[in-house]
Amino acid sequence: MMNIVVAIKVVPDDQDIQISAAGELDMSKAHQTISAYDLNAIEAAAQLAQAVGDSKVIALAVGGSAIDESKLKKNILARGAEELVMIADDACADLDAHATATVLAAELAKIGDVDLVVCGDGSADNYAQQVDVQLACKMGVASVNGVVEMSAAGSTLTAKRKLEDVIETVEAQLPCVVAVTPDIALPRIPGMRDILAAGKKPMNVGAADAAAETCLETIEIKAPEATERKQEVSNASDDGAIDAFVAALKAAL
Amino acid sequence: MDFNLTDEQELLIDSIKEFCERNFDEQKIREMYANHGMSDELIQAYLEAGFGLMGIPEEQGGIPCDLVTLGILTEEFAHYSGCITPFLNNTLAMRDLIDFGTPEQIEMGMAAYMETGKPIMSLGFSEPASGSDNMNMSCVTKKQADGTYILNGQKTWVTQGEVFPYVLVIAKDEDNARENREMSMWLVPKEIDGLSTAPLQKIGQQIMPFCEMYFDDVVLTEDMRVGKQGEGFKNLMKNFETERCLIVAQSIGCAQAAMDDAAAYVNERITFGKPIASYQLIQLKLAEMEIALQNSRNMLYKTLWKMDNGQSVRIDSALLKRYACMECTKVASEAMQIYGGLGFTTETRVGRMWSDLRGFQIAGGTDEIMVYIAGRQLAKQYARK
Repeated sequence: MMNIVVAIKVVPDDQDIQISAAGELDMSKAHQTISAYDLNAIEAAAQLAQAVGDSKVIALAVGGSAIDESKLKKNILARGAEELVMIADDACADLDAHATATVLAAELAKIGDVDLVVCGDGSADNYAQQVDVQLACKMGVASVNGVVEMSAAGSTLTAKRKLEDVIETVEAQLPCVVAVTPDIALPRIPGMRDILAAGKKPMNVGAADAAAETCLETIEIKAPEATERKQEVSNASDDGAIDAFVAALKAAL
Repeated sequence: MDFNLTDEQELLIDSIKEFCERNFDEQKIREMYANHGMSDELIQAYLEAGFGLMGIPEEQGGIPCDLVTLGILTEEFAHYSGCITPFLNNTLAMRDLIDFGTPEQIEMGMAAYMETGKPIMSLGFSEPASGSDNMNMSCVTKKQADGTYILNGQKTWVTQGEVFPYVLVIAKDEDNARENREMSMWLVPKEIDGLSTAPLQKIGQQIMPFCEMYFDDVVLTEDMRVGKQGEGFKNLMKNFETERCLIVAQSIGCAQAAMDDAAAYVNERITFGKPIASYQLIQLKLAEMEIALQNSRNMLYKTLWKMDNGQSVRIDSALLKRYACMECTKVASEAMQIYGGLGFTTETRVGRMWSDLRGFQIAGGTDEIMVYIAGRQLAKQYARK
């Protein structure tokens, strides 16, 4: 039996983000959605819960008051979690990794009796890959990232980590925090039954106990400048064209 | 008036989109059309996602939903898959079996459906000389001294008639004379002695092949009867309105996919140095296509809403079927026109959509029969009291 918490970030849907001529990102028309990497995390948690048996998956999300949105909450709960704990508080809007980890740790302490925290590989917006490690640090437990496969027995988690050139298998004492790669599990497509059941699952939405301290100051977020295409065309049948093409590529990099 | 979708309906659409992104692409769709079918795994996946259970009663293991939601499922599945699949027909066949079958027949049919996602039977209703003119039906059963019945006659356009193990046949009781209104429904095994089939080639909707079916002295037993003796015609009429509306939902989804392609293409295609979107003749096409889609959709959901609320849709469903199926074919036709020469090739999918949509101007009642159904009622409705 395990209590598994999946930490979820709610992000603006990148398909709805508009970029102004000055490179500013306009997110005012963007719908709130589950960060894409976290879909794999929910699925991995649900599969582990099923493998272990008699286990529970709780989704935990922290963000501004806008994340308290009915369809979004049902969406999270239609994907394999049994319960949702959500801190929807404008004091928690746009937190950096440090502050997010602080709020998550406080909420995890309140949930209590958590065996495993599962995070996505990174967030779909900033992709800093920091929250999982900082959260483990605050909780004083092991952090295992890059996880492509995991199982649990007794008080031990066995995880395969995908590193640059090897797959490393590690064991960690539970409780611990893992960050899973998208390869770990293909997210389920919520079926109609899952969707209908989601609205009946517990949703605990609240405010943060205290404003979390951020340590990063965001100066600006801008889209990369569009560069003019060079429109140099190589004809592969010309003598030396391939070499020239390779040389042009190397020069551009 | 509230045009908002519920959270659940919006999430359903998201799931349909995800399902179609994973399971349908042009390569796969072309294979399905060439092979006249889709894989067992895909049919199973549709069921497991719960789409195939929607509209089936809870006591049969289904997920009950209103007709508006069933319309959304049907429309959006056709929209995001970009093709005409057999799933709607499968659901309609199961609803017929559940509405008319004996408890044993329903149990057998549901057990097979839950395992495979396929209905056990095709629907053998139309005949070469009897489509909307049901009274002209030639198929007839005659009771024998030993209590069995002998079935003779022919059915045609039997969708998936060569695929499923049974066929639900409607035949006149005892006498096929025009005046005889007594008909019964029978669940006949495809492999029964005296039943033979011949495939028919379609010009669209080829994922669902259809066939002709011949019955020569086929011996039926009482346990094959579906519904009450003599009530076949009543049963036949009962589900026609739902069928018409859902055919329209499928048409709108398919036409919307053609619109998506063509309306994006006008921004990309350059002639005389400008995107063709800047020409008023193209803008006129887009405007009229959008009007057709919005009108069709509004009529569809209003009709489904009326059915959900127990109101009569005898006129509405016929007007809807006529208007929307004709308009959806036009939308696809205009999409082809926007693509020019490319639209007439298999490099784009709009031509396939046009062929598929053309079929819906005939299936489930022709454009002309819809006038006949609605016209008489309209005259009555507007008559001075």
